Amino acid sequence: MIRRLLPRKVRAESCAPDAALLLYVVLFFAFMLLPIIIVVVVAFSATEYITFPIQGVSLRWFRRIYEYRPFFNSLRVTLEIAFLSALFGALLGVPAALALTRWKHPIASLAMTFLLSPLSMPFIVLGFALLFFLSAVGFGASFLSLLIAHTVVSLPYVVRTVAGVYRGLSPNLEESALVLGASKWQAFRYVTLPMIRPGIFAGCLFAILLSVDNLPISFFFGSPATSTLPVVMLSYLENSFDPSIAAVSTVQLVFALTFLLVIERFYGLKGMAPAS
Amino acid sequence: MAFSPWLSAPAALFLIAFFVLPLTDNALRSVASQAAAGANYLKLLTDPYYLWVIGVTIALSAAVTLASLVLGYPIAYFLVRKAGRWSSLIIFLTVAPLLTSIIMRTFGWRVLFARRGLLNVLLLDAGWIERPLALLNSPVSVVVGLVHVLVPFMVLSIASVLQGINPRLGESARILGAGRMRTFWLVTFPLSLDGIATGSILVFMLANGSFVTLLLLGGGSLQTLPLLIYQQFTTTRDFAFGAAMSNVLLVLALLCLLLQLVLIRRRGVKT
Repeated sequence: MIRRLLPRKVRAESCAPDAALLLYVVLFFAFMLLPIIIVVVVAFSATEYITFPIQGVSLRWFRRIYEYRPFFNSLRVTLEIAFLSALFGALLGVPAALALTRWKHPIASLAMTFLLSPLSMPFIVLGFALLFFLSAVGFGASFLSLLIAHTVVSLPYVVRTVAGVYRGLSPNLEESALVLGASKWQAFRYVTLPMIRPGIFAGCLFAILLSVDNLPISFFFGSPATSTLPVVMLSYLENSFDPSIAAVSTVQLVFALTFLLVIERFYGLKGMAPAS
Repeated sequence: MAFSPWLSAPAALFLIAFFVLPLTDNALRSVASQAAAGANYLKLLTDPYYLWVIGVTIALSAAVTLASLVLGYPIAYFLVRKAGRWSSLIIFLTVAPLLTSIIMRTFGWRVLFARRGLLNVLLLDAGWIERPLALLNSPVSVVVGLVHVLVPFMVLSIASVLQGINPRLGESARILGAGRMRTFWLVTFPLSLDGIATGSILVFMLANGSFVTLLLLGGGSLQTLPLLIYQQFTTTRDFAFGAAMSNVLLVLALLCLLLQLVLIRRRGVKT
Protein backbone atom coordinates (compact mmCIF):
# COMPACT_ATOMS: atom_id res chain seq x y z
CA MET A 1 0.00 0.00 0.00
CA ILE A 2 3.00 2.20 0.53
CA ARG A 3 3.63 1.92 -3.15
CA ARG A 4 0.78 4.23 -4.07
CA LEU A 5 2.36 7.01 -2.07
CA LEU A 6 5.60 6.82 -4.01
CA PRO A 7 6.26 9.05 -7.04
CA ARG A 8 5.53 7.27 -10.34
CA LYS A 9 9.20 7.29 -11.37
CA VAL A 10 10.11 5.35 -8.22
CA ARG A 11 7.36 2.81 -8.82
CA ALA A 12 8.57 2.07 -12.35
CA GLU A 13 12.23 1.80 -11.40
CA SER A 14 11.64 -0.67 -8.59
CA CYS A 15 11.11 -3.72 -10.80
CA ALA A 16 14.52 -4.01 -12.44
CA PRO A 17 16.58 -4.29 -9.22
CA ASP A 18 14.16 -6.90 -7.91
CA ALA A 19 14.66 -8.98 -11.04
CA ALA A 20 18.44 -8.63 -10.73
CA LEU A 21 18.28 -9.69 -7.08
CA LEU A 22 16.11 -12.67 -7.95
CA LEU A 23 18.56 -13.73 -10.68
CA TYR A 24 21.40 -13.46 -8.17
CA VAL A 25 19.49 -15.57 -5.63
CA VAL A 26 18.99 -18.31 -8.25
CA LEU A 27 22.69 -18.25 -9.20
CA PHE A 28 23.72 -18.32 -5.55
CA PHE A 29 21.70 -21.44 -4.77
CA ALA A 30 22.95 -23.06 -7.97
CA PHE A 31 26.45 -22.48 -6.55
CA MET A 32 25.40 -23.94 -3.20
CA LEU A 33 23.79 -27.07 -4.66
CA LEU A 34 26.10 -27.74 -7.60
CA PRO A 35 28.89 -29.67 -5.83
CA ILE A 36 26.33 -31.72 -3.91
CA ILE A 37 24.36 -32.67 -7.02
CA ILE A 38 27.57 -33.58 -8.84
CA VAL A 39 28.60 -35.97 -6.08
CA VAL A 40 25.19 -37.66 -6.08
CA VAL A 41 25.41 -38.14 -9.87
CA VAL A 42 28.99 -39.43 -9.73
CA ALA A 43 27.91 -42.03 -7.16
CA PHE A 44 25.96 -43.78 -9.93
CA SER A 45 28.78 -43.91 -12.46
CA ALA A 46 29.78 -47.19 -14.06
CA THR A 47 33.44 -46.37 -14.69
CA GLU A 48 36.51 -46.91 -12.50
CA TYR A 49 37.56 -43.30 -12.90
CA ILE A 50 35.57 -40.16 -12.32
CA THR A 51 34.13 -38.29 -15.27
CA PHE A 52 31.37 -35.79 -15.42
CA PRO A 53 28.91 -36.20 -17.07
CA ILE A 54 29.15 -39.88 -16.14
CA GLN A 55 29.40 -42.65 -18.71
CA GLY A 56 26.91 -45.38 -17.90
CA VAL A 57 24.84 -45.85 -14.80
CA SER A 58 25.44 -48.54 -12.20
CA LEU A 59 25.11 -49.30 -8.52
CA ARG A 60 28.53 -50.95 -8.21
CA TRP A 61 29.92 -48.21 -5.96
CA PHE A 62 27.10 -48.66 -3.49
CA ARG A 63 27.92 -52.38 -3.36
CA ARG A 64 31.53 -51.39 -2.71
CA ILE A 65 30.46 -49.63 0.51
CA TYR A 66 29.35 -52.98 1.82
CA GLU A 67 32.38 -54.85 0.50
CA TYR A 68 35.00 -52.40 1.76
CA ARG A 69 34.76 -53.25 5.44
CA PRO A 70 36.35 -50.06 6.87
CA PHE A 71 33.42 -48.02 5.49
CA PHE A 72 30.86 -50.32 6.97
CA ASN A 73 32.58 -50.74 10.34
CA SER A 74 33.24 -47.03 10.77
CA LEU A 75 29.61 -46.21 10.03
CA ARG A 76 28.65 -48.15 13.13
CA VAL A 77 31.24 -46.38 15.28
CA THR A 78 30.11 -43.03 13.86
CA LEU A 79 26.45 -43.58 14.71
CA GLU A 80 27.17 -44.98 18.19
CA ILE A 81 29.38 -42.00 19.01
CA ALA A 82 26.87 -39.50 17.59
CA PHE A 83 23.88 -40.83 19.53
CA LEU A 84 25.75 -41.52 22.77
CA SER A 85 27.44 -38.12 22.79
CA ALA A 86 24.08 -36.44 22.20
CA LEU A 87 22.60 -38.51 25.03
CA PHE A 88 25.36 -37.61 27.51
CA GLY A 89 25.33 -34.04 26.25
CA ALA A 90 21.62 -33.91 27.10
CA LEU A 91 22.02 -35.62 30.50
CA LEU A 92 24.63 -33.04 31.52
CA GLY A 93 23.35 -30.09 29.52
CA VAL A 94 19.59 -30.02 30.20
CA PRO A 95 19.88 -29.62 34.02
CA ALA A 96 22.61 -27.03 33.54
CA ALA A 97 20.52 -25.01 31.09
CA LEU A 98 17.49 -25.11 33.43
CA ALA A 99 19.58 -24.14 36.45
CA LEU A 100 21.36 -21.22 34.81
CA THR A 101 18.59 -19.65 32.71
CA ARG A 102 16.59 -18.19 35.60
CA TRP A 103 19.35 -17.88 38.18
CA LYS A 104 19.64 -14.15 38.86
CA HIS A 105 23.26 -13.92 39.83
CA PRO A 106 26.29 -12.48 38.02
CA ILE A 107 27.86 -15.93 38.10
CA ALA A 108 24.99 -17.34 36.05
CA SER A 109 25.85 -15.53 32.81
CA LEU A 110 29.54 -16.22 33.38
CA ALA A 111 28.83 -19.93 33.86
CA MET A 112 26.65 -19.92 30.73
CA THR A 113 29.46 -18.36 28.70
CA PHE A 114 31.80 -21.00 30.06
CA LEU A 115 29.45 -23.88 29.15
CA LEU A 116 29.12 -22.53 25.59
CA SER A 117 32.81 -21.77 25.10
CA PRO A 118 33.83 -25.12 23.50
CA LEU A 119 31.86 -24.03 20.44
CA SER A 120 34.26 -21.13 19.89
CA MET A 121 37.41 -23.25 19.99
CA PRO A 122 38.91 -24.54 16.77
CA PHE A 123 38.05 -28.26 16.85
CA ILE A 124 41.51 -29.22 15.67
CA VAL A 125 43.00 -27.59 18.78
CA LEU A 126 40.46 -29.35 20.98
CA GLY A 127 41.15 -32.73 19.38
CA PHE A 128 44.90 -32.31 19.59
CA ALA A 129 44.83 -31.23 23.25
CA LEU A 130 42.32 -33.92 24.26
CA LEU A 131 44.23 -36.79 22.71
CA PHE A 132 47.38 -36.02 24.68
CA PHE A 133 45.48 -35.32 27.87
CA LEU A 134 43.38 -38.50 27.67
CA SER A 135 46.44 -40.56 26.80
CA ALA A 136 48.23 -39.17 29.86
CA VAL A 137 45.20 -40.03 32.01
CA GLY A 138 45.29 -43.55 30.60
CA PHE A 139 42.30 -43.61 28.24
CA GLY A 140 44.37 -43.50 25.06
CA ALA A 141 42.83 -43.64 21.59
CA SER A 142 39.78 -45.61 22.73
CA PHE A 143 36.05 -45.51 22.10
CA LEU A 144 35.65 -43.85 25.50
CA SER A 145 38.10 -41.07 24.58
CA LEU A 146 36.30 -40.46 21.32
CA LEU A 147 32.98 -40.33 23.17
CA ILE A 148 34.34 -37.84 25.71
CA ALA A 149 35.74 -35.63 22.95
CA HIS A 150 32.43 -35.58 21.08
CA THR A 151 30.46 -34.93 24.25
CA VAL A 152 32.56 -31.80 24.92
CA VAL A 153 31.01 -30.43 21.70
CA SER A 154 27.49 -31.90 22.09
CA LEU A 155 27.01 -30.48 25.58
CA PRO A 156 27.11 -26.78 24.62
CA TYR A 157 24.76 -27.39 21.69
CA VAL A 158 22.13 -28.87 23.99
CA VAL A 159 22.68 -26.14 26.60
CA ARG A 160 22.25 -23.42 23.97
CA THR A 161 19.01 -24.70 22.46
CA VAL A 162 17.40 -25.73 25.75
CA ALA A 163 18.30 -22.38 27.37
CA GLY A 164 16.87 -20.60 24.32
CA VAL A 165 13.53 -22.41 24.63
CA TYR A 166 13.35 -22.21 28.43
CA ARG A 167 14.10 -18.48 28.46
CA GLY A 168 11.04 -17.90 26.25
CA LEU A 169 8.66 -19.68 28.65
CA SER A 170 6.70 -17.89 31.33
CA PRO A 171 7.72 -18.88 34.89
CA ASN A 172 4.03 -18.56 35.81
CA LEU A 173 3.21 -21.94 34.29
CA GLU A 174 5.40 -23.82 36.74
CA GLU A 175 4.34 -21.54 39.61
CA SER A 176 0.68 -22.35 38.88
CA ALA A 177 1.42 -26.05 39.04
CA LEU A 178 3.17 -25.59 42.39
CA VAL A 179 0.34 -23.44 43.75
CA LEU A 180 -2.18 -26.08 42.71
CA GLY A 181 -0.35 -28.59 44.83
CA ALA A 182 2.06 -30.29 42.45
CA SER A 183 5.36 -31.37 43.93
CA LYS A 184 8.53 -29.86 42.45
CA TRP A 185 9.17 -33.14 40.65
CA GLN A 186 5.61 -33.22 39.24
CA ALA A 187 5.88 -29.60 38.09
CA PHE A 188 9.08 -30.50 36.29
CA ARG A 189 7.80 -33.78 34.88
CA TYR A 190 4.41 -32.54 33.65
CA VAL A 191 4.98 -28.83 32.97
CA THR A 192 8.65 -27.99 32.33
CA LEU A 193 9.75 -31.12 30.53
CA PRO A 194 6.98 -31.22 27.88
CA MET A 195 7.62 -27.56 27.11
CA ILE A 196 11.39 -27.79 26.72
CA ARG A 197 11.21 -31.04 24.76
CA PRO A 198 11.56 -29.30 21.35
CA GLY A 199 14.71 -27.63 22.64
CA ILE A 200 16.17 -30.93 23.81
CA PHE A 201 15.41 -32.59 20.49
CA ALA A 202 16.78 -29.67 18.48
CA GLY A 203 19.98 -29.62 20.54
CA CYS A 204 20.44 -33.37 20.19
CA LEU A 205 19.71 -33.19 16.47
CA PHE A 206 22.38 -30.55 15.94
CA ALA A 207 24.79 -32.43 18.15
CA ILE A 208 24.26 -35.66 16.18
CA LEU A 209 24.59 -34.00 12.78
CA LEU A 210 27.74 -32.20 13.88
CA SER A 211 29.25 -35.28 15.49
CA VAL A 212 28.77 -37.42 12.39
CA ASP A 213 30.83 -34.95 10.36
CA ASN A 214 33.31 -33.87 13.02
CA LEU A 215 36.52 -34.90 11.32
CA PRO A 216 38.85 -32.47 13.17
CA ILE A 217 38.05 -34.12 16.49
CA SER A 218 37.63 -37.73 15.39
CA PHE A 219 40.81 -37.67 13.35
CA PHE A 220 43.11 -37.66 16.40
CA PHE A 221 41.56 -40.77 17.92
CA GLY A 222 41.99 -42.86 14.83
CA SER A 223 42.62 -46.50 15.61
CA PRO A 224 40.97 -49.38 13.76
CA ALA A 225 38.37 -49.66 16.52
CA THR A 226 37.61 -45.96 16.78
CA SER A 227 37.81 -44.58 13.25
CA THR A 228 34.67 -42.71 12.33
CA LEU A 229 33.36 -42.55 8.79
CA PRO A 230 34.90 -39.17 7.82
CA VAL A 231 38.31 -40.35 9.06
CA VAL A 232 38.11 -43.49 6.93
CA MET A 233 36.88 -41.45 3.96
CA LEU A 234 39.76 -39.01 4.30
CA SER A 235 42.41 -41.70 4.38
CA TYR A 236 40.68 -43.44 1.44
CA LEU A 237 40.71 -40.17 -0.52
CA GLU A 238 44.41 -39.67 0.13
CA ASN A 239 45.18 -42.93 -1.68
CA SER A 240 42.53 -43.26 -4.35
CA PHE A 241 40.04 -41.01 -6.07
CA ASP A 242 37.17 -43.22 -7.23
CA PRO A 243 33.36 -42.93 -7.10
CA SER A 244 33.00 -44.99 -3.90
CA ILE A 245 33.46 -41.87 -1.78
CA ALA A 246 30.61 -40.29 -3.76
CA ALA A 247 28.43 -43.33 -3.01
CA VAL A 248 29.19 -43.17 0.74
CA SER A 249 28.47 -39.44 0.78
CA THR A 250 25.15 -39.97 -0.99
CA VAL A 251 24.09 -42.61 1.53
CA GLN A 252 25.09 -40.24 4.33
CA LEU A 253 23.05 -37.45 2.80
CA VAL A 254 20.00 -39.69 2.49
CA PHE A 255 20.38 -40.66 6.16
CA ALA A 256 20.62 -37.02 7.24
CA LEU A 257 17.62 -35.97 5.16
CA THR A 258 15.50 -38.87 6.42
CA PHE A 259 16.50 -38.10 9.98
CA LEU A 260 15.54 -34.46 9.52
CA LEU A 261 12.21 -35.37 7.92
CA VAL A 262 11.33 -37.77 10.73
CA ILE A 263 12.08 -35.09 13.31
CA GLU A 264 10.09 -32.57 11.28
CA ARG A 265 7.16 -34.95 11.13
CA PHE A 266 7.05 -35.56 14.87
CA TYR A 267 8.23 -32.32 16.38
CA GLY A 268 8.26 -29.67 13.65
CA LEU A 269 11.34 -27.71 12.69
CA LYS A 270 9.86 -24.31 13.43
CA GLY A 271 11.18 -24.01 16.96
CA MET A 272 14.46 -25.59 16.09
CA ALA A 273 16.40 -22.62 14.82
CA PRO A 274 19.34 -22.25 17.14
CA ALA A 275 18.50 -19.59 19.70
CA SER A 276 21.16 -16.88 19.75
CA MET B 1 10.22 -22.51 39.62
CA ALA B 2 13.85 -22.00 40.49
CA PHE B 3 16.07 -24.95 39.80
CA SER B 4 19.04 -25.26 42.10
CA PRO B 5 22.17 -23.75 40.57
CA TRP B 6 23.96 -26.95 41.63
CA LEU B 7 22.26 -28.74 38.74
CA SER B 8 24.81 -27.07 36.49
CA ALA B 9 27.70 -28.53 38.48
CA PRO B 10 28.02 -31.86 36.58
CA ALA B 11 28.22 -30.06 33.24
CA ALA B 12 30.73 -27.54 34.58
CA LEU B 13 32.86 -30.29 36.14
CA PHE B 14 32.79 -32.28 32.93
CA LEU B 15 34.04 -29.30 30.95
CA ILE B 16 36.68 -28.44 33.54
CA ALA B 17 37.98 -32.00 33.35
CA PHE B 18 37.84 -32.50 29.60
CA PHE B 19 38.04 -29.00 28.17
CA VAL B 20 39.90 -26.63 30.51
CA LEU B 21 42.46 -29.14 31.80
CA PRO B 22 43.44 -30.50 28.35
CA LEU B 23 43.91 -26.99 26.97
CA THR B 24 45.98 -25.97 30.00
CA ASP B 25 47.96 -29.16 29.74
CA ASN B 26 48.52 -28.38 26.07
CA ALA B 27 49.72 -24.88 26.89
CA LEU B 28 52.17 -26.27 29.44
CA ARG B 29 53.42 -29.00 27.12
CA SER B 30 54.38 -26.43 24.51
CA VAL B 31 56.86 -24.84 26.94
CA ALA B 32 57.88 -27.67 29.26
CA SER B 33 59.21 -30.40 27.03
CA GLN B 34 61.92 -28.29 25.45
CA ALA B 35 65.05 -27.55 27.46
CA ALA B 36 64.83 -23.89 26.58
CA ALA B 37 61.32 -22.94 27.65
CA GLY B 38 59.56 -20.98 25.01
CA ALA B 39 61.94 -21.99 22.23
CA ASN B 40 58.92 -23.19 20.30
CA TYR B 41 57.28 -19.81 20.47
CA LEU B 42 60.51 -18.06 19.55
CA LYS B 43 60.62 -20.24 16.45
CA LEU B 44 56.94 -19.66 15.70
CA LEU B 45 56.99 -15.92 16.17
CA THR B 46 60.37 -15.03 14.66
CA ASP B 47 61.08 -17.58 11.91
CA PRO B 48 59.95 -15.93 8.64
CA TYR B 49 58.39 -19.20 7.43
CA TYR B 50 56.10 -19.57 10.43
CA LEU B 51 55.26 -15.86 10.47
CA TRP B 52 54.29 -16.30 6.83
CA VAL B 53 52.09 -19.27 7.74
CA ILE B 54 50.35 -17.29 10.50
CA GLY B 55 49.90 -14.42 8.05
CA VAL B 56 48.44 -16.74 5.39
CA THR B 57 46.04 -18.24 7.97
CA ILE B 58 44.72 -14.81 8.92
CA ALA B 59 44.65 -13.48 5.34
CA LEU B 60 42.79 -16.54 4.08
CA SER B 61 40.19 -16.27 6.84
CA ALA B 62 39.79 -12.55 6.12
CA ALA B 63 39.34 -13.20 2.39
CA VAL B 64 36.78 -15.94 3.05
CA THR B 65 34.93 -13.68 5.52
CA LEU B 66 34.80 -10.80 3.05
CA ALA B 67 33.65 -13.04 0.19
CA SER B 68 30.97 -14.63 2.39
CA LEU B 69 29.76 -11.19 3.42
CA VAL B 70 29.52 -9.87 -0.14
CA LEU B 71 27.86 -13.07 -1.42
CA GLY B 72 25.66 -13.67 1.62
CA TYR B 73 24.27 -10.20 2.34
CA PRO B 74 21.96 -10.03 -0.71
CA ILE B 75 20.62 -13.48 0.16
CA ALA B 76 19.84 -12.43 3.72
CA TYR B 77 18.20 -9.27 2.40
CA PHE B 78 16.14 -11.25 -0.10
CA LEU B 79 15.15 -13.77 2.58
CA VAL B 80 13.86 -11.14 4.99
CA ARG B 81 12.43 -8.49 2.66
CA LYS B 82 11.43 -10.13 -0.61
CA ALA B 83 10.98 -13.88 -0.21
CA GLY B 84 7.52 -13.72 1.36
CA ARG B 85 5.93 -17.15 1.22
CA TRP B 86 9.13 -18.56 -0.32
CA SER B 87 11.12 -17.82 2.81
CA SER B 88 10.89 -21.40 4.18
CA LEU B 89 12.32 -22.66 0.90
CA ILE B 90 15.17 -20.14 1.05
CA ILE B 91 15.95 -21.14 4.65
CA PHE B 92 15.87 -24.81 3.68
CA LEU B 93 18.20 -24.22 0.72
CA THR B 94 20.57 -22.26 2.94
CA VAL B 95 20.68 -24.86 5.69
CA ALA B 96 20.54 -28.01 3.50
CA PRO B 97 24.24 -27.94 2.50
CA LEU B 98 25.08 -28.10 6.22
CA LEU B 99 23.59 -31.60 6.23
CA THR B 100 26.15 -32.88 3.76
CA SER B 101 29.55 -33.99 4.95
CA ILE B 102 32.47 -31.68 4.39
CA ILE B 103 34.18 -34.46 2.46
CA MET B 104 31.22 -34.70 0.10
CA ARG B 105 31.36 -31.03 -0.78
CA THR B 106 35.13 -30.99 -1.21
CA PHE B 107 34.81 -34.05 -3.41
CA GLY B 108 32.24 -32.23 -5.54
CA TRP B 109 34.57 -29.27 -6.02
CA ARG B 110 37.40 -31.61 -6.99
CA VAL B 111 35.26 -33.12 -9.73
CA LEU B 112 34.26 -29.63 -10.92
CA PHE B 113 37.70 -28.07 -10.78
CA ALA B 114 39.74 -30.98 -12.13
CA ARG B 115 41.94 -30.44 -15.16
CA ARG B 116 39.38 -32.23 -17.30
CA GLY B 117 36.54 -31.33 -14.98
CA LEU B 118 33.19 -29.84 -15.81
CA LEU B 119 34.27 -26.22 -15.46
CA ASN B 120 37.33 -26.51 -17.70
CA VAL B 121 35.39 -28.48 -20.32
CA LEU B 122 32.65 -25.85 -20.42
CA LEU B 123 35.12 -22.97 -20.64
CA LEU B 124 37.11 -24.73 -23.38
CA ASP B 125 33.97 -25.50 -25.38
CA ALA B 126 32.86 -21.89 -25.08
CA GLY B 127 36.24 -20.87 -26.42
CA TRP B 128 36.94 -18.59 -23.48
CA ILE B 129 40.20 -20.31 -22.60
CA GLU B 130 42.88 -21.95 -24.73
CA ARG B 131 44.07 -24.60 -22.29
CA PRO B 132 42.62 -26.00 -19.04
CA LEU B 133 43.03 -23.75 -16.02
CA ALA B 134 44.90 -25.15 -13.03
CA LEU B 135 42.02 -24.49 -10.64
CA LEU B 136 42.45 -27.47 -8.36
CA ASN B 137 45.18 -27.24 -5.71
CA SER B 138 45.23 -23.48 -5.91
CA PRO B 139 44.19 -20.76 -3.44
CA VAL B 140 41.14 -20.12 -5.67
CA SER B 141 39.65 -23.54 -5.04
CA VAL B 142 40.40 -23.26 -1.31
CA VAL B 143 38.55 -19.93 -1.04
CA VAL B 144 35.61 -21.24 -3.10
CA GLY B 145 35.42 -24.40 -0.98
CA LEU B 146 35.57 -22.50 2.31
CA VAL B 147 33.03 -19.88 1.24
CA HIS B 148 30.69 -22.67 0.22
CA VAL B 149 30.96 -24.22 3.68
CA LEU B 150 30.73 -21.00 5.70
CA VAL B 151 28.43 -18.63 3.81
CA PRO B 152 25.24 -20.13 5.37
CA PHE B 153 26.42 -18.94 8.79
CA MET B 154 26.82 -15.41 7.41
CA VAL B 155 23.38 -15.45 5.77
CA LEU B 156 21.65 -16.63 8.95
CA SER B 157 23.48 -14.12 11.19
CA ILE B 158 22.63 -11.15 8.96
CA ALA B 159 19.05 -12.31 8.35
CA SER B 160 18.31 -12.52 12.08
CA VAL B 161 19.33 -8.87 12.53
CA LEU B 162 17.57 -7.66 9.35
CA GLN B 163 14.44 -9.33 10.68
CA GLY B 164 14.44 -6.91 13.58
CA ILE B 165 14.68 -3.74 11.47
CA ASN B 166 11.36 -2.05 10.94
CA PRO B 167 10.71 -1.85 7.17
CA ARG B 168 8.83 1.41 7.81
CA LEU B 169 12.19 3.15 8.30
CA GLY B 170 13.25 2.40 4.75
CA GLU B 171 9.81 3.29 3.42
CA SER B 172 9.95 6.64 5.19
CA ALA B 173 13.26 7.38 3.51
CA ARG B 174 11.74 6.52 0.13
CA ILE B 175 8.73 8.74 0.68
CA LEU B 176 11.02 11.57 1.71
CA GLY B 177 12.62 11.26 -1.70
CA ALA B 178 15.71 9.09 -1.16
CA GLY B 179 16.47 6.69 -4.02
CA ARG B 180 16.67 2.93 -3.59
CA MET B 181 20.44 2.84 -3.25
CA ARG B 182 20.56 5.85 -0.97
CA THR B 183 17.91 4.33 1.27
CA PHE B 184 19.79 1.06 1.45
CA TRP B 185 23.21 2.59 2.20
CA LEU B 186 21.98 5.25 4.64
CA VAL B 187 19.22 3.37 6.45
CA THR B 188 19.09 -0.40 6.10
CA PHE B 189 22.81 -1.13 5.85
CA PRO B 190 23.93 0.82 8.96
CA LEU B 191 21.16 -0.80 10.97
CA SER B 192 22.35 -4.27 9.95
CA LEU B 193 25.98 -3.72 11.03
CA ASP B 194 25.39 -5.83 14.15
CA GLY B 195 24.50 -8.85 12.03
CA ILE B 196 27.49 -8.22 9.78
CA ALA B 197 29.79 -8.14 12.82
CA THR B 198 28.32 -11.32 14.35
CA GLY B 199 28.43 -13.20 11.05
CA SER B 200 31.93 -12.01 10.21
CA ILE B 201 33.41 -13.03 13.55
CA LEU B 202 31.72 -16.43 13.32
CA VAL B 203 32.92 -17.09 9.76
CA PHE B 204 36.43 -15.80 10.54
CA MET B 205 36.64 -18.08 13.57
CA LEU B 206 35.43 -21.15 11.67
CA ALA B 207 37.73 -20.40 8.72
CA ASN B 208 40.71 -20.11 11.09
CA GLY B 209 40.23 -23.63 12.34
CA SER B 210 39.41 -25.41 9.09
CA PHE B 211 41.81 -27.89 7.57
CA VAL B 212 39.87 -30.49 5.59
CA THR B 213 39.12 -28.08 2.74
CA LEU B 214 42.75 -26.94 2.67
CA LEU B 215 44.00 -30.48 2.71
CA LEU B 216 41.80 -31.73 -0.12
CA LEU B 217 41.51 -28.63 -2.31
CA GLY B 218 44.71 -26.74 -1.53
CA GLY B 219 47.20 -29.40 -2.53
CA GLY B 220 49.94 -27.62 -0.57
CA SER B 221 49.47 -24.32 -2.37
CA LEU B 222 48.56 -22.69 0.93
CA GLN B 223 50.09 -23.52 4.31
CA THR B 224 48.04 -22.56 7.34
CA LEU B 225 48.30 -23.28 11.05
CA PRO B 226 45.64 -26.03 11.20
CA LEU B 227 47.26 -27.74 8.22
CA LEU B 228 50.67 -27.62 9.92
CA ILE B 229 49.18 -29.01 13.13
CA TYR B 230 47.71 -31.85 11.10
CA GLN B 231 51.10 -32.48 9.50
CA GLN B 232 52.94 -32.31 12.84
CA PHE B 233 50.59 -34.99 14.03
CA THR B 234 50.70 -37.29 11.00
CA THR B 235 54.27 -36.95 9.71
CA THR B 236 56.71 -34.74 11.65
CA ARG B 237 55.49 -35.83 15.09
CA ASP B 238 57.01 -32.86 16.91
CA PHE B 239 54.15 -32.70 19.40
CA ALA B 240 55.53 -29.89 21.53
CA PHE B 241 55.74 -27.69 18.47
CA GLY B 242 52.27 -28.83 17.40
CA ALA B 243 51.01 -27.82 20.84
CA ALA B 244 52.65 -24.40 20.47
CA MET B 245 50.97 -23.90 17.11
CA SER B 246 47.58 -24.93 18.45
CA ASN B 247 48.07 -22.38 21.23
CA VAL B 248 48.64 -19.60 18.72
CA LEU B 249 45.43 -20.71 17.00
CA LEU B 250 43.72 -20.79 20.39
CA VAL B 251 44.79 -17.21 21.14
CA LEU B 252 43.32 -16.12 17.80
CA ALA B 253 40.05 -17.86 18.72
CA LEU B 254 40.02 -16.24 22.17
CA LEU B 255 40.49 -12.81 20.62
CA CYS B 256 37.48 -13.45 18.36
CA LEU B 257 35.48 -14.67 21.35
CA LEU B 258 36.39 -11.54 23.31
CA LEU B 259 35.33 -9.35 20.39
CA GLN B 260 32.05 -11.26 20.24
CA LEU B 261 31.42 -10.75 23.97
CA VAL B 262 32.16 -7.03 23.70
CA LEU B 263 29.66 -6.74 20.85
CA ILE B 264 27.01 -8.70 22.70
CA ARG B 265 27.47 -6.59 25.83
CA ARG B 266 27.27 -3.36 23.84
CA ARG B 267 24.06 -4.51 22.26
CA GLY B 268 22.67 -5.44 25.67
CA VAL B 269 21.72 -8.92 24.51
CA LYS B 270 22.07 -11.72 27.00
CA THR B 271 23.90 -14.80 25.79
